[in-house]
Amino acid sequence: MSATAADRAAVASARPAEAPLGYAAGAWRAFNLQLTLYRHVWHGTVFTSVVLPILYMISIGIGVGSYIDSSSTGGITYAEFIAPGLVCSVAVMMLGNDMTYPVFGGYRDWGGGYLAQRSTPLRPVDILNGHLLYAMVFRPMTNCTVVAIVLALFGVYSSAWAALAVPAAVLVSAALAPWLFFWCSSLKNDAMLNAVFRFAIMPITLFSGVFFPAEQMPGFLQPLVWASPLWHGTELARAATIGIAPALPPALHVAYLVALCVVGWLLARRAVARRLNF
Amino acid sequence: MPAETNQTLVRAQDLRKRYGDFEAVRGVDFEIQRGEAFGFLGANGAGKSTTMRMIGCVSEPTGGEIEVFGLDPRRDGTAIRGRLGVVPQDNTLDNMLTVFENLTVYAGYFGIKRREAKARAAELLEFVQLSGRSDDKVDDLSGGMQRRLAIARSLINRPDLVLLDEPTTGLDPQARHLVWERLFQLKQQGVSILLTTHYMDEAEQLCDRLVVMDEGRIIAAGSPRELIDTYVTKEVVELRFNGLHTTDLAEIASGLGGVGAQIEPLPDRILVYTDDGDDTSAALEVRDVRPSSVLARRATLEDVFLRLTGRALAEDEA
Repeated sequence: MSATAADRAAVASARPAEAPLGYAAGAWRAFNLQLTLYRHVWHGTVFTSVVLPILYMISIGIGVGSYIDSSSTGGITYAEFIAPGLVCSVAVMMLGNDMTYPVFGGYRDWGGGYLAQRSTPLRPVDILNGHLLYAMVFRPMTNCTVVAIVLALFGVYSSAWAALAVPAAVLVSAALAPWLFFWCSSLKNDAMLNAVFRFAIMPITLFSGVFFPAEQMPGFLQPLVWASPLWHGTELARAATIGIAPALPPALHVAYLVALCVVGWLLARRAVARRLNF
Repeated sequence: MPAETNQTLVRAQDLRKRYGDFEAVRGVDFEIQRGEAFGFLGANGAGKSTTMRMIGCVSEPTGGEIEVFGLDPRRDGTAIRGRLGVVPQDNTLDNMLTVFENLTVYAGYFGIKRREAKARAAELLEFVQLSGRSDDKVDDLSGGMQRRLAIARSLINRPDLVLLDEPTTGLDPQARHLVWERLFQLKQQGVSILLTTHYMDEAEQLCDRLVVMDEGRIIAAGSPRELIDTYVTKEVVELRFNGLHTTDLAEIASGLGGVGAQIEPLPDRILVYTDDGDDTSAALEVRDVRPSSVLARRATLEDVFLRLTGRALAEDEA
């Protein structure tokens, strides 16, 4: 800080016009915050990505599975049946962390977040994209990969195609994350965050055909199953890991998830621009 | 809109901001020059912070014109914010990050490369005397330290203009003075500063020029000295009467006609504006006014402020 007044003036007037900030660069810059935060808490995520799937496999996959006749799951073991859906449902559970309190708190002075980013060259849309890049790409790509590897120890995959369960999980995240961002951007108080868990995360995890074939649900609940991104992801992942034909052509499952993502993103973009115009 | 001239950093004309039925800023005009320390002075709710946010391109004006660095905030927000340093009222530091990370992550938002960011962060922590706290979490810092960190963070992009929203509100006297020293140093380095405050001493110490805001309007503008010369007399004699009620003071005040240039009864004392304190004190003795204490002092910005906005406040409360 030893520059003289003249130096500073010279620097200021000689400052070159900066190139306009592209969406990718903007998202990347904002993403850096999430990544730095993640470095402080990554060991906490070991529970979700390593311990939790092991507990699920032992208690439900093997425990409950011993009561289940493999004829009801298409001739495969129950553990094999639930493994692909588990990879995807971990993605949903992670969103329950990454896209609820952090979004709600981002708009408040709960430790910087969006408010600090807003004073910089980043636009509201960059702030949205940065957070999404973390929650719907980085987290499922890394943590769901670990989950998939942990599950492999239980011998539940029949081919290398099982690796496609991870992209399926990313798609589930992508379909859901912008909607959660949109929802949490409009909440007035944090008590409402519980509603997000109760009415989104919980029912999606339970009623998406992860633990039992979706067609066993009562007919009137079927539309909810079809709407659930996790069901579409689980169908895709199950097709990849154990070769069970999905309910729809894979392209349709993918198209549905991508469409949800795009509509959710458009809504979230409008919400973030409104919230961050003071 | 005209391009940025060499000197004018911010130019506002009839600038307005409306929230629903409430107009927070009601048509303000001002210009801020390069190298200047410019202040927005006003009570809470006067429209200072809202004006500041419009300059900072985080709040879209609902009327009037504004340009910053010759650019239009509606269109060129990213480019403008890239040249601003912002110290918000509530710091908005990242509590989960260390002191050092707060600076390097923030540098990243400006596209500053990692190595350069680290060098600047170290240099700035030195400047705000926080080098020893580099690896601490923000929560472990005192209020004054957090404020200094926010100031350091605002300088990471080597801004052309630093916006500070109530930089010393809530700080203890030592912390305030340390912040003032640092801001004064920045000023000496030629950094342009724009600050809001409701502390008159702060405005008087730091600002070359200031505007007084009240209810969304600018009601006075000039250097601290000019404002004092224009709106109040050179000196003020403060009369205190121990044990007397406010209504008694008003009565005494009404009997003081002709003493000094103006009489202002306050709840706890009477202010006599005058160009010569000694003369006035003598005149009071002749009238047989017997205050329990008499203090003749130079007029300050506080007197200007009370003169300009005091009555409005009193009317509101009546």
